[in-house]
Amino acid sequence: MLKCREIVRDADRLLAGDLSRPRKMAVRMHLMMCRHCRRYVRYLRALLAAIPFMHGPASDEEVSRVMDHIHDKRGENSDSRG
Amino acid sequence: MNGEQLQRLRKGDPELFAELVREHHHSLIALARPLVGPGDAEEVVQNAWLKAHGAIDRFEGRSAVRTWLSRIVLNEAKMLLRQRGREVSFSHWDDSESGEPLADRFTDRGSWKKPPVRWHYDSPDSLLMSDELADCLTRLLHGMPVNQRALFELRDTLGLSFEEICNELGISASNARVLLHRARGQLFELVDHYQETGEC
Repeated sequence: MLKCREIVRDADRLLAGDLSRPRKMAVRMHLMMCRHCRRYVRYLRALLAAIPFMHGPASDEEVSRVMDHIHDKRGENSDSRG
Repeated sequence: MNGEQLQRLRKGDPELFAELVREHHHSLIALARPLVGPGDAEEVVQNAWLKAHGAIDRFEGRSAVRTWLSRIVLNEAKMLLRQRGREVSFSHWDDSESGEPLADRFTDRGSWKKPPVRWHYDSPDSLLMSDELADCLTRLLHGMPVNQRALFELRDTLGLSFEEICNELGISASNARVLLHRARGQLFELVDHYQETGEC
């Protein structure tokens, strides 16, 4: 029977679908019997789903700065070719 | 992004490109920061947007757009490091000195001593609702070792595959997994503590 500490170590690979079949079975057996580890895996899954949105959108000012930089550089390039 | 949007983007629709910048700029800055340092991250990402704009007609949509943008940022970061005469390989990144995350929450026999608390907010959307928690997470990321943070941003924020991350950074898969596990462990601890106490 796996220890809770091992479940935490394996949780990343479990959620990535990256555990060998026997190991996955052993983890699943443990999860059936351990509500703390079930909670850990459930919360980790939610956290990983939230992370890609964590940094939030850029402001209008930041977007303008990027777009202005692009237009300036494109302008320079076409001038130098022109 | 649907097929019609992709076509418009490839034809150079400026509004759609600006939306791309709005959506991904902060994540790309967060990626560049541990690679080149906070002082040069903005420049790297500005240059990456310029490259992306110039190459957008060749973006085929086979990978997610954020993955494509991440690759461009990685290339720009390496280019800047070369220009500055700095180390471009990340193969020296190992994490043998950092402790195991959550280690003190287990007994010597490996069972939970302090299991996760019940989270008030446990859906992805609700986790992002709290500005205070977002500030806590940002502070944690800024204080994280650069190798852990880079792995975290590449894998969890931008969605690159392990294989690609290892190829790009020149690090082993086992090392990458340890770095990512430690970064995630710290994040989990922070959120768990916040849910229990309302503080970072």
